[in-house]
Parts: sequence; structure tokens; C-alpha cells
Amino acid sequence: MSMKKIILLPIAFMFWLPAMATDFVELRLSNSNKVVFKFMFRNGSISDPVGQEGLTFLTTSLVGDGGTTTLTSTQVKDFLYPMAAQISYSIDKEVAILTFEVHVDHLEAFYPLMIDLLTRPRMDEGDFNRLKSNQENYVTQVIRTSSDEEYSKRALEDLLFRGTRYQHMPAGTVSGVAKLTLEACKAHYQNYFRHDNLTVGIAGNYSPALFNRLKEDVKKFPPGAPKLPDPVKARQPDGIQVEIISKKGALGSAIFTGAPLAITRRDDDFAALMVANSWLGEHRKSYSRLFQKIREERSMNYGDYSYIEWYANGGGNMLPPSGVPRNANYFAIWIRPVQIAKGLKQQYPELSDITIGHAHFAIRMAIRELDLLIKNGMTKEDFELTRTFLRSYIKLYAQTPEQQLGYLMDSKFYGRKDYLAEMDALLAKVTLDDVNKAIRKYWRSDAMFITIVTDESEAGPLAESLRNNLPSPMSYSTSLKESLSAEILKEDEEVATFKLNVKSVKIADSNTTFQ
Amino acid sequence: MKLIIVPLLLLAGGVLMGAGDQDTPKKILPYPIHVHDMPNGLRVVTVPYESPGIAAFYIIVRAGSRDETEPGKSGFAHFFEHMMFRGTEKYPKERYNEVLKSIGASANANTSNDRTVYHMTGNAEMLEKMFELEADRFMNLKYSIQDFKVEAGAVKGEYTKNFASPYMQRHEKMRATAFTKHTYGHTTIGFFEDIVDMPNQYEYSLQFFDRFYRPEHSAILVVGDVTPEKVNALAEKYFGSWKRGNYTTKVTPEPPQTETRYVHVQVPDFPPFLGLSFKAPAFSDSSLDMPALDVLSNLLFSEKSALYKKLVLEERKVRALSAGAPDSRDPYLFDIQASLVNASDLQYVKDEIMRTIEQAKKQPVDPEELKTTVSHMKYSFAMNIDNPDAIAAALSNYIWITGDPESLNRTYANYEKVTPEDLMRVASKYLVSTGLTVSTISPEETGGVK
Repeated sequence: MSMKKIILLPIAFMFWLPAMATDFVELRLSNSNKVVFKFMFRNGSISDPVGQEGLTFLTTSLVGDGGTTTLTSTQVKDFLYPMAAQISYSIDKEVAILTFEVHVDHLEAFYPLMIDLLTRPRMDEGDFNRLKSNQENYVTQVIRTSSDEEYSKRALEDLLFRGTRYQHMPAGTVSGVAKLTLEACKAHYQNYFRHDNLTVGIAGNYSPALFNRLKEDVKKFPPGAPKLPDPVKARQPDGIQVEIISKKGALGSAIFTGAPLAITRRDDDFAALMVANSWLGEHRKSYSRLFQKIREERSMNYGDYSYIEWYANGGGNMLPPSGVPRNANYFAIWIRPVQIAKGLKQQYPELSDITIGHAHFAIRMAIRELDLLIKNGMTKEDFELTRTFLRSYIKLYAQTPEQQLGYLMDSKFYGRKDYLAEMDALLAKVTLDDVNKAIRKYWRSDAMFITIVTDESEAGPLAESLRNNLPSPMSYSTSLKESLSAEILKEDEEVATFKLNVKSVKIADSNTTFQ
Repeated sequence: MKLIIVPLLLLAGGVLMGAGDQDTPKKILPYPIHVHDMPNGLRVVTVPYESPGIAAFYIIVRAGSRDETEPGKSGFAHFFEHMMFRGTEKYPKERYNEVLKSIGASANANTSNDRTVYHMTGNAEMLEKMFELEADRFMNLKYSIQDFKVEAGAVKGEYTKNFASPYMQRHEKMRATAFTKHTYGHTTIGFFEDIVDMPNQYEYSLQFFDRFYRPEHSAILVVGDVTPEKVNALAEKYFGSWKRGNYTTKVTPEPPQTETRYVHVQVPDFPPFLGLSFKAPAFSDSSLDMPALDVLSNLLFSEKSALYKKLVLEERKVRALSAGAPDSRDPYLFDIQASLVNASDLQYVKDEIMRTIEQAKKQPVDPEELKTTVSHMKYSFAMNIDNPDAIAAALSNYIWITGDPESLNRTYANYEKVTPEDLMRVASKYLVSTGLTVSTISPEETGGVK
């Protein structure tokens, strides 16, 4: 079967932004034993043409994992192997980044190859077929069957940004990836990997001469910059809108909530919201409120956190990685998998008559905590402690040359020079009043999207319970319940009937997602 | 064969500094390692590193799932790691959390087969507070039975999130099949039925703490903007009164395997997977067996290898191919893993891997290729140690295996000593079908691989 080749967006359709140039970020570290290069293109998955979702991802993969016009990908791997030089690439909604790291011993040999890979990519058919097959595999199988947490997070973005160019995963959709062709990748490279939509970063132990050489070499990229799609915003939910993804054999219910957030790192208010968010749900921190309430006091799951920006690979990262700057932002709560009725019944005979597991209760608990925070604000003590924590903690975000460079480059995206230093200065100035105002201004507890990946046995009863705001008492084993304090059990009663402003609940079959 | 825990304290008293092999001109870790042994058996390791204002503080306890020798107690070392965050009399859990938060550190812990590691990376100026907080919980941990029961639920939550992955399901089955007697037969998180029963094991948890959270089973490691003098003084001040224990784990040795074993996980709509797990030796920095296997795994199965080029790049029957033998205290496994495009190729891929192994037993490798591989391994490491946490993580690996952080430098020096003959020898000794467990994931009811 032959595949029809379609070239996307012929040059004539492109709009070039006037008088722009490549941006540079420098960070010389004379004690380092390596040099890190980063090439950040302002394109990202929002620049995927309609119907070809995943094109930026595949094009970037072909540059980062392909060959040059003179060397095949195999020859490139052979050449780099003894140096252990690393090439990595990441694609998010608005940027694609290629990162190169090399030991100073090999810098001279490595540098020309790096420039060739970037500016004279081979775009080989064999590489294309291999990389496309892997990408197809990810969107059709891996995302749905590997981690229900990551699945529910991606599904939340699909729901929050439905109908916009932010909706699809950077890796694309099932139908989008199927349509990708090598010709489309070649055209996309020419159109969206250009001189003037590029920020170049260099960090480590390099000479001024090398930096000058780099500045000359980036002129080899096609001139100009593409016109990117108009900025998008997360949809405003009508009350609480739930989408349950019913999956055969899921062991628990994996939950994400999300609501549009008007500010980003660009805004000074972000520092105030950072304090509130850290207190409510700092990523992987046991002392945050949600973690305390859901895991520490009730042992319902492995952890519960909140976010005021996209956090890549939350399951793996303890500290937030750079390289995912975005203009469209949202506030999210992540409730890690909680038990389902089927499992609880098997584990504890005393729970044989329950109809749903812990998801409804956990959602109520999290939203109630958010609601209390909006109503009551933070206390002076909590504010001071959280601010002290953050001012020390954000310094850990950028410990390696690669991380330092990444954060500096992200700063440019947001119109800042050094986000971490500037945020520290803002945190030093922020007041309790600023924080409580920001909470009331930017957060709501009555409007959000929620996605839940759960077992097919749980989906129906859970939907019914959410839709009708049915009481959802916690179902503890007898042994655990006996050991809980009266205070916790009393709070449980309040949580079990806490009214959620649920407006719609839909169930989607796992096989229909990301099409 | 009787397996005995090698005490952490291999050398009595005094301060060792950067003691390495005479014949190693350049150490892989370019920073001096300062070792201070305390009278109670606690080893204190300091590596000053230029990271202004930041230090990584690690406590390594040589207790892992390997030490869960009693039936029904699988997963306990990991569960206990959770309990270590439940407070003391001086710092009840709420107060502990407040103080921890005020330090502003990235702090966590993790458990594996052979050890539990507690780590905290943060403001070097807060080092004394870190010492005070850690010493208090390591010596005076106190939790209620209520807290104990509640925490068990979090472990169940962790199992629930992890076992959404078919890879974890395969891993659990593979371990239980490859090891019939040794405690490596269960994963670190433990069997689900044992996890469900954890709330009933309060008394056992007290015993567990008493056995393993002792100075002779532990070591402190600090890397970053610190001096050994300061670290040693803080260690003496806060950990000096920690009392030795007297427990030694007796792990039943794994009897020799005599034939290939098979396990299979049936999952629809998931990338087919093939795992070949061969019985491998325990870590040693005085024998070349493990270094040779490390080199061999790179030579035969890395992106540079002929097999990778054939299966992944040319034929495109495999999406990802990797291999390696994790460092371990007792003999463990050399694992080869392949993610396939089609389940119908499982047998073919297995045959290709076995053919490659058989060839490696007979044909000496090109010395130039060997040199290239060792260069890759050394540069990979050198480029990775660019922050205190990465250096501490690398060193902690050797501290829990041999007790001696210099094992890191010796291991990389050993890679230079590996010859083509060593590679043929270890391939013939370890990569044999009688020591093999084959594991598969596919939509079919059985793996269908011989």
C-alpha cells in the first residue's frame, strides 16, 4: 500500500515575523568538565498541522536521533560512542529542545557533528520508519497501558484544551501519527526549525572563540521565523466536569483535576501563588496539606499534590525540570491511585457490601481543602514557614550545568532574565496578604475538569455517585478504623457529604482516548 | 555455602583519605574521599565538592528486601523506610515535618534489594540541623500503632500505582521464578498479600528497627560545600551515642539452577517484551568477573553493538534493547531486555540474542572495540557527576555493597584491566541456559518461546 505524500504548509503560506534573531544564553563554568548546548525552537506541538498531530515530535526525533547528509544514524552513534556524548530532545506544547552534552576532551571532534545534525539532518527513510513506529506505539499502546497516573494527566490536558492546538499530546494522536510522512517532516523542519525562532544556550567550560563560532554556525538554519498559531487558553469549565476513563484491569483510580490559571512565571503574582501552592500540595513533599490529609492521616494512596504549572514526568522527577515553558496555564491537583471497590472487597471481608472505592471521597477531600484555603487563607505561621522553605528549595531546581542553562533559557521565554533569582527576590517581598489575595483571585473550588482512569467495574458506580452527589463515606478496614482518632472520623463525615458542584460526568472507554 | 554480612567497618579506627590502588594513575572520581570511622562502627564519608551553599547528606542502611528472611514479611524494609518519617518524642511527626520544611531541602528515601538510603540535599548552612534531625530519628524513632497501621495503606497505594505497569508484573513473576530459596525471590515492595497484612505487624516493626537501624549497619555520606572536619565533628556530636546492635541476617543461599525457567504475563495491547535473566555473581572489586560482565553488556547490547544495529536499526523488529547486571551483595542476575514490535518475533529475537552470546564465548573481541567501550563507560560516568547529589548517589552504591567508597575508583580501574579473554570466560561461565529465566509479555496465553 503506498502512502500519499502530503507536503504541509508550503512556504508561500508561511508568515515571517520581522526583525527577529536567534537569542543566546551563555553560562561559562570554568570548573566544569563538559559543555552543554541547548537549541530551543519556538514551535512545539501547537505547530502540528490539523490532522497531523505528532509532526513536531517526529521531526525533532529525526534531527536528534537521525544522521547527517554525510553520516547515517548508525555512523553517528558509532562516532559518539567512545565520547559518551549525549544527545537528548524534548517536545512540549510550545517548544522543541535539542540538548547536547560532551566532555571537554571531545569538544573539538563533537562540535562540527552537532552543527551538521542540526542544520543538515539526513531525514532518512529508515530512521523515519523506526521513529514513527515507536511514536505510534506510544500513542496507541504505551500511554494507555503503562502508568494510569500519566494516562489521567494526559487525559486531563485533552479535556482542558479540547478544540485547541494544545489538546493533543506532543507525541500526537492515533490518527495524526498514522498520517505522518517523511516529506511532511522535511517540510516541517524547513518551516519550523529556523534561525529566528531559536534560542541557543551554551554552558560549561568553553572558550569565547567557540561561542563566536557557534554564533556564526547558527546562521546555517533557514532564516526567518514561522508564524505560530494564536495563543490558546484552557477552557473554562461549567462547574465540575468529570470524565472517567474506563479501563479493563485497572488496579486503582488515578485522578487529576485542572482549572484555567490566568498567570504564569511571567507575572509577579506567581510568587504569591507559589507559596499558596507549596503549602497546599508541594510536589512529593510530606508536609503539604493534601498529602497530610489524604495520605498521612488516612493512608488512601501514595501521595497528593497540587501544581500551578505543567510538571513534566511527576512520577519520576523530585524537582521540576526545565524545558517546558508554556503560555497557557492551569491549576491542577494530582491524587495518586486510590483503591477501587473490587480490590477493597477482596482485601477485607468487612467491606463486602461497598459499591465504590475511595475516589469520590478523595476528590471531595481535596476540593474541600482547596475550598477551606480559599475561604480562610493561609495563617501567618504557615506563610512564613512555607516562604522560608521555598526560598531555599528553588535553589535546588538548577544544580547541574544543564539545569542552570535550561532555567535561564526558560526565563527568556517568560520575558525574564533569571527566573529563579527573580522569584527569590519576589518571595522575599511577598506578604501574607498578597498570598491570600492571590488565592482568592486565581483559584476556585466550584469549577474544574476532573479525569479519572479506573477499572471498568468501578467506572459506572463512581459516575453515578459523582453525578448525584451521593454521600461517599470512607471505607476503612476494621483494623484501621479502630486506630483512627475521633477527630479524623468526624472530619470524614463532613467530607463524605461535602457538596461538589458537579455538572457533568461522562464515561469514556480507554480504547477511544487520544484518537 | 554460608552467606555472612560483611561488616561495614572493614578497617578499625582512624581516618583514611583517598586510599586507592597504587597502580591507578587517575581515579574516576577526581575528588578526595575522606573516611572517618567512629568507635560505635558508624562510617562517615565526606567528599568536598564545589557547589556553593549546597550539600547532599545521605544515610545508608544496609537493610533491604534481601534481609526479609521470615515468611510473610516481604516488603518490610521498604515499609520501614516509610515509618522512619513518623517522628520521635523530641520531634513528633508534625514538628518533624515543620523542621524538615524549614531546612528547605529535597529529602526522601528509597529501598532496594540490599539497602535503604535516606537522602537530603539542601542548604549546606543547615547541615547541623540535618544531623540533629536525622540522628534523632535513627536513634529514637517512636511511632504509635495507629500511625503504623495508617502508613501501611500508603504502601498499598504505592503497589497499586506501580503495578499498573505490566513490566512490574513481569518483574515480580520473574524474580519469584529465578529464585526459589534466596530472598531475592521477592521484589522490594513485597508480595501484595504481605502488604495487605502489614498493619498487623507492629511488634515485628519494632524488632526490625532494633535489628538494622544500628551504626554497624549504617554509614553517613556528605558531599558538597563542606569540610571533613565539620562533618566528622557533627557526626561525633549527634551519632556518637548510637549503640551497636548484634543482629546478622542469615539468608538461605540459592541452590544452583539446572535448567531454563519460563514466566509469562498476558497483556493485550501492550508492546511485546522479552527478558533473559541469567544468574550472575555478587559484586566484587577484587575479581574481574563483574567488571567483565559490565563491559560485555555494553559490547553486545548497547546502541553501538552489532546486535542492536541488526534488530533495532536494520530489521526494526525490536524497539529497545538493553542489558546489565546490577551490583548486588549476593549473586543476582544479568538481565537482557528487549521491547519488540511483534510478538511473533519473540522466538527469533531470543535466538538472535543467544547466538550473539554463543559467539561471544568463542570469538575474542577486537581490542580496539574493547577500548572504545571502556572509554564510553568512563566518560558516561565522568559527565554524570556534575552535582553533589549525583556524586553521593554514585558513592552510596559502593558504600552499601562493600562498605568502602573507594570501591568506586577500583571498579572503574578494573574496567581498564578487562581483556578479551576475560569476556569469553565470563560469557561461558554465566550466560548459560541452565542459569536462565526467560520472561515474556504478549497478548497470547503463553510466551511461546523455547
